[in-house]
Amino acid sequence: MPPINETRTGTTGHPPIIEIDGISKSFGAFKVLDQLSFNVAPGEKLALIGPSGSGKTTILRILMTLEGIDSGDIRVAGENLYQMQKNGGLQPADENHLHKMRAQIGMVFQLFNLFPHKCVLDNVTLAPMLTKNTPRKQAEEQAMQLLEMVGLANKAKSMPSQLSGGQKQRVAIARALALQPKIMLFDEVTSALDPELVEEVLNVLWRLSEETDMTMLLVTHEMGFAHEFADRVLFFDRGKIVEDGKPDEIFRNPKQERTQAFLKKIIAAGHRV
Amino acid sequence: MGQWAGYLQLILEGALVTIKLTLMGSVLALIMAFIAGLGRISRFRAVRALATTYIEFFRGTSIFVQLFWAYFVLPLFGFSLTPLQAGVLALGLNVGAYGAEVVRGAIKSIGREQYEACIALNFNRWQSLRHIILPQAFVLMLPTFGNNAIELLKASAVVSLISLSDMTFQAQVVRAQTGSTLMPFLTILVLYFLMSSVISAAIRGLERYLTRGLDGVRS
Repeated sequence: MPPINETRTGTTGHPPIIEIDGISKSFGAFKVLDQLSFNVAPGEKLALIGPSGSGKTTILRILMTLEGIDSGDIRVAGENLYQMQKNGGLQPADENHLHKMRAQIGMVFQLFNLFPHKCVLDNVTLAPMLTKNTPRKQAEEQAMQLLEMVGLANKAKSMPSQLSGGQKQRVAIARALALQPKIMLFDEVTSALDPELVEEVLNVLWRLSEETDMTMLLVTHEMGFAHEFADRVLFFDRGKIVEDGKPDEIFRNPKQERTQAFLKKIIAAGHRV
Repeated sequence: MGQWAGYLQLILEGALVTIKLTLMGSVLALIMAFIAGLGRISRFRAVRALATTYIEFFRGTSIFVQLFWAYFVLPLFGFSLTPLQAGVLALGLNVGAYGAEVVRGAIKSIGREQYEACIALNFNRWQSLRHIILPQAFVLMLPTFGNNAIELLKASAVVSLISLSDMTFQAQVVRAQTGSTLMPFLTILVLYFLMSSVISAAIRGLERYLTRGLDGVRS
């Protein structure tokens, strides 16, 4: 296990795998992210919590290059995400640079975003075959292993429309893992599921954390899960990180008033933290 | 009754020309629809401008005028076409312009989340289009493509004006020779209807084939 405690203070032997340095982002007049900075250590499991509109999902979307940033710097594995070295200077990233950077990052979406016209197996094999030139046979073997891991090997030939929400989300996780990313981003992956289907998806995350040393960033409203699962929790509000600490500190002894108010509301709504 | 068999023979020969025109015109229209439709959503302004010009020009002028240009005016610039070539060219370019908007509209209607999944899986633009967006968009294009093909079939009658002996042309020949309007025009009415029914059925079949397993995804 990487030395999680030290990385928070930035005195680790391992350089951070994600460095976010003073980024800001606005949608029109609305400032979603305001001079935000934090680092993530390799292998760290980071939960991003906070009220809706606080910017936590935007962070994931920016890391996946689905949104650009207005200012600031992001480095992934030491390399600038949105800029590249060229002709002795920094230039805006071109498609090739983004392609190289995206290869290290996988993302799972709230609404699964499976390809409805492809069967489960093809959903998982397509990316390695297209982006890594993996031969079909090898891609399929690897996909079957991943489907095995998420408990859906028997659904390989099913179409996404024949699956439940929880099954779709597990396929989406297998699909993202097929590219063997170093970093996985989970964007409210259980929010769209019926309550009885949440657990099967969370179990996959547990399994993933036991069997790999992947860095994981989760935006979640499952506070109980975040508490048990994460190494570290960031509480977001209005585009800023209000509190950053170990799950026990954040959930049992929140120091900031806004964190306390948020957790109180969550508990009042009947959620376990 | 014996004489009608001979005249029917004439009309059936015309029907073959109409079928040929419709098939070849539809193929050209399909190709143009994809070229111009994708051109309309290109990243490059010049490509977009070119596609828009093509579409607006061919939608904005009548097929009759386009056909006469293809057959009578182009030779003045050194391009001589046979009547069939001119007919296929005019019909294909004209209907392709309508099809281009269908292609663009269908591509635009595929949800943003599909594009985002493509980016997250590190596909490049062409791979996303080829494997994810177009296969889904094509199913949406089909019903309108069917309409366009039927329009093309019916518009193909215009080639009789450049002396191509299609079904309508032959019906007029029969009418002139026999003095009967009812028989030849009833015959081609039925034949046009049969041909368009075949197109409809083929498109429906293709749509059913392509949407198998997609139940519940779209209507």
